[in-house]
Amino acid sequence: MLVKDVMNSPVLTVEAGASLEEAYRIMLEHNIRHIPVTAEGRLVGMITDRDIRLATSPLSAKGARSTQTPVGEAMSQPVITGHPLDPVEEAARTMRERKIGALPILEGERIVGIVTGIDLLDALLRLTGVSKPSGRLEVTLPDKPGELAQLCAELARRNINIHSLLSYPLDATQVNSVVRVSTLEVRKLAQELRHQGFSVRWPPEMPGKGL
Amino acid sequence: MSVPVVYTPHYLDYNFGPQHPFSPLRLVMLLELLEHLGHPPRPTEPSPATREEVRTVHLESFVRRVEAASRGEVSPGFEHYGLGTADTPIFPGMDEAARWLVGGTLSAARMVAQGQAREVLQLGGGLHHAQRDLAAGFCVYNDLSVAIRYLTHQGLRVAYVDIDVHHGDGVQWIHYDEAEVLTFSIHESGRYLYPGTGHIHEIGKAQGTGRKLNLPLEPFTEDGSYLEVLQMSLEPALRWFRPDVMVIQCGADAHYQDPLAEILLSTRAYAKIFHLLRQYVAEFAQGRAIYTLGGGYSLDATTRVWALLYLLLQGLPLPERLPETWLRRWGLQLGRELTPTLHDPPSPYPEIPRRAEIEQRNRQVAERLLEAVRPYWK
Ligand SMILES: [Zn+2]
Repeated sequence: MLVKDVMNSPVLTVEAGASLEEAYRIMLEHNIRHIPVTAEGRLVGMITDRDIRLATSPLSAKGARSTQTPVGEAMSQPVITGHPLDPVEEAARTMRERKIGALPILEGERIVGIVTGIDLLDALLRLTGVSKPSGRLEVTLPDKPGELAQLCAELARRNINIHSLLSYPLDATQVNSVVRVSTLEVRKLAQELRHQGFSVRWPPEMPGKGL
Repeated sequence: MSVPVVYTPHYLDYNFGPQHPFSPLRLVMLLELLEHLGHPPRPTEPSPATREEVRTVHLESFVRRVEAASRGEVSPGFEHYGLGTADTPIFPGMDEAARWLVGGTLSAARMVAQGQAREVLQLGGGLHHAQRDLAAGFCVYNDLSVAIRYLTHQGLRVAYVDIDVHHGDGVQWIHYDEAEVLTFSIHESGRYLYPGTGHIHEIGKAQGTGRKLNLPLEPFTEDGSYLEVLQMSLEPALRWFRPDVMVIQCGADAHYQDPLAEILLSTRAYAKIFHLLRQYVAEFAQGRAIYTLGGGYSLDATTRVWALLYLLLQGLPLPERLPETWLRRWGLQLGRELTPTLHDPPSPYPEIPRRAEIEQRNRQVAERLLEAVRPYWK
């Protein structure tokens, strides 16, 4: 999944010379909290609703500034940016490490999109995939080449599609795979996989079920 | 007064093969049981739904695929429409077979809308997973939604109640933005069970906001907790919405014997649920309702649950033991001893250690659900 698959575009921008009041109005109107700031068509900073509230608050170190203050004087800079072809996890890492809520996406000098924390949550939801009717299968696999391939081959053999697959290390020797599978009969699948030696964590084994 | 039954042997043609859990045997066993009990239904035979009736819900592109698959044509594009998958394999005549089931539910809706009956039991259907352009979870055409659409076209407001253990996703999405349709699905949480949806925050959109309710339950939920949270959330919803008619999907797969899910209802809970729903029908929906079947994959449990439904609706006495001849015949055929009584034996499964925690979580979910939808109830 690439940044271009999750980013918002086109992007609203505000001129560095515009007032804080104007920028705040744009935020309210469009229900957004971050706006890239431009000067002569180039990205020069980011202004957030928090920047505006801090700048105009009597509690701020420099005292309350006028709502007519130009955005260029309250914005954060330099701006951290991403590229549309960056993997989405890289954008997430950048935003997490630099503690920023939105990442403008540039192609050369042109702003082509913006990624926010909400977009990353959407990406997570897409990765964990309940966008299509599916059941949940959780299998613990030895952390060795070919183990996941074997599990997938078993699903393919039964004509069961994988809607999403999430795999993460459990400990030094095992990984846990959560697979959203296109079948209502996950319990039967789990039972068959157990018979073949897979360690299935969900659905659990339950005696007395059947017929 | 007895409740009319809609049924035709054509329902048995909806058959994905001997290994598939959505088995027509369920109906055969049920009808034979009712006969042996001395109360055979005298059903009204429906006609199959027409293509146009199916099209009131399903997209042309999808219906065309179902028809082609039904004729035996092969196309790699079928899977995109959920056809030819592990759950919904293709079989010759599947279009007609599915249209018979739709026709049955639609006939039941007509009987109620035209005043021929107040309550009708459709002994089939309940294919709640089918979406506008997707066959899913054993469901090809959505009989429930076709009936609901017919009812709303008659100017009626419909409350759809779904007690199948799986989320009634198809019905929910089809009517998601409709103000005149309230959907209420109580099911095992999508965190653990197919189809993965049915979260409390799926509350509808546009005019339908606040009118789609989901009560996802913890796995291993038992009778007491189920009934508690069902009443907690469904009663206020119906009291507010005041439907003209209710459509009730009576899937039996929340039974503890069901092989596909983890909710642990007993037949005694089902009897209470059916009583409760009928009470709601009388109190909030002018006594008008259509009951359909649905999921239910333990033949032993499903037959007993639906026999209960039938007997209760007809006001017939409940036998304690099931007829010996029926037990012997089906025990032999299935190669397994069947439960000899209508109700489950007492304490049929080991005690659930997390019971208190499960009850508390379900209660909390019901409260959150009401908090999510109530602001839209005006
Ligand atoms: Zn079901």
